[in-house]
Amino acid sequence: MIGAIAANTFRETVRDRVLYAILIFAALATLAGVVFGSLSADQDVRVLEDLGLFTITTFGGVIAIFLGTNLVFKEIDRRTIFLIVTKPINRWEFVTGKFFGLALCVFVTNFAMGLFFQLVIWFQTGNFNSALPMLGSLSLIYLELLLVIAIATFFSTFATPLMSMIFTCGLWLVGHLSFSFELLAALARKNDSIATEKLALFLQYVMPDLAKLTTVRGDMMDARYPSADLLGYVIAYILAYLVILLSLSTIIAERREFN
Amino acid sequence: MTEAVIEVQGLVKDHFSNFLRKRFRALDGLNLKVEKGESFGLLGPNGAGKTTTQKLLLGMLKPTEGSIRVLGKSPGDKEALAKIGFLPENPYFYAYLSASEFLDFFAQLFDMNKNDRKARTKELLELVSLSEAGNRPIRKFSKGMMQRLGIAQALINDPELVFLDEPNSGLDPIGRRDIRNIMLMLKEQGKTIFFNSHMLPDVRDICDQVGVLHRGKMVGQGRVEDICRSGTYKELEDYFMDLINSSEEKYRQSGNATPYHIEREGAQQK
Ligand SMILES: Nc1ncnc2c1ncn2[C@@H]1O[C@H](COP(=O)(O)OP(=O)(O)OP(=O)(O)O)[C@@H](O)[C@H]1O
Ligand SMILES: [Mg+2]
Repeated sequence: MIGAIAANTFRETVRDRVLYAILIFAALATLAGVVFGSLSADQDVRVLEDLGLFTITTFGGVIAIFLGTNLVFKEIDRRTIFLIVTKPINRWEFVTGKFFGLALCVFVTNFAMGLFFQLVIWFQTGNFNSALPMLGSLSLIYLELLLVIAIATFFSTFATPLMSMIFTCGLWLVGHLSFSFELLAALARKNDSIATEKLALFLQYVMPDLAKLTTVRGDMMDARYPSADLLGYVIAYILAYLVILLSLSTIIAERREFN
Repeated sequence: MTEAVIEVQGLVKDHFSNFLRKRFRALDGLNLKVEKGESFGLLGPNGAGKTTTQKLLLGMLKPTEGSIRVLGKSPGDKEALAKIGFLPENPYFYAYLSASEFLDFFAQLFDMNKNDRKARTKELLELVSLSEAGNRPIRKFSKGMMQRLGIAQALINDPELVFLDEPNSGLDPIGRRDIRNIMLMLKEQGKTIFFNSHMLPDVRDICDQVGVLHRGKMVGQGRVEDICRSGTYKELEDYFMDLINSSEEKYRQSGNATPYHIEREGAQQK
């Protein structure tokens, strides 16, 4: 069941022209990055790599958000959901199937962009020295994108694509700025504002936190590999978040009426 | 033949408009009983509550009051849904799929294996005369082709009970005849059919029983043979018009007394 829905969703996404438009822009941005990078004085490969990975993350996120926010919404809007909810499947199977379908699509595009970028680097440097750390980085980027997909899926069960896009982008950004809650808490403590401090700590706790993941990814590119514990923590954190988001999406899908 | 496939008692459904939480009673105290192998035609003017009734029976909407049993289960029960087929009103399908991919997808949701799925898809495309269009993307389908595909989709699991919301709308005369024949075939196979329709001649040919909804209330219900044999009504249409007229009259006289019919315009598009 989940497989059938995932396969159908995957098919939907790869037959969507928007995906290819985004991928073309991603390729152009990668090339532009390399050209500008090689114009810089010291021609540091590391700068090129960071720029490339940033491009991949951004465009992967654009794909995840663009397709993800439409995922469930489109089924409701076009009323194809009528056909799904009157079949003997559970709502959680529907939600999970949708998620995995898009996750598969993003998997393919993420690593395809990575491959393209690696080829460009090879063209520039003539070696594949960075292939391994790059693979590790791409995997972590994928993990991050899974979180973005789950957030988008969650919002798409009840909000319009535009609202979902804004919320998803917002949360994703917050995930990268999670240190700011710490700063806020510290500031509040200094001013003896207990309520604000509590609020900041609470937000730090419930909002997605991508700081560790980003640190690990940066270290990887410097050929410093994380301990199994740290890596395990990063993975478990994202997975837990996914489970919670998909559960919430299921609850919403179960409770709502289809009109 | 006394086993009730659909049993509804005192069904009430209120819709709420989003902002003001204004209440609109779309169904008001509906009672229904459809027995195994029977075909039931739900008639009524636009906005009478026919689609709402089907959605409630399928568990897509939740009742405000009253009880519903479908195939002995509550609406939306998975076990019951496995034996049910449904064609929504003005169906829209995944435009990016071809007709056969589309049917195959739904067959998968019923856990059918690959060979069965293939055979069933082919059989149904033939049944609705879409064999030639089987590999064309649905995006390029005409309205009538969509309707035919919708019927095929509703029969994918060889259901015991089919819900069809206006199966014969948007079709050319050939299409309408084809659909009528398919419904007669289903009837012959002993399936229970519950359908909404405005095509009264078709209803007369197909249905054992009809019910007429008006402003969310069942204003008339009976066996087609009784209605047409009684002599009062030559055609189902006369029966229909008569009921609606007298009910509308009563409604007027009561001075819009029914407190929930606030959005009157919405209830009488016709
Ligand atoms: N989600 C909703 N919110 C508010 N009112 C609704 C909603 N859905 C339906 N209604 C109202 O309920 C009434 C019954 O609608 P329904 O779709 O069941 O009519 P119908 O008998 O199927 O009509 P038609 O012949 O046009 O298909 C209508 O007056 C409609 O405006
Ligand atoms: Mg209707």
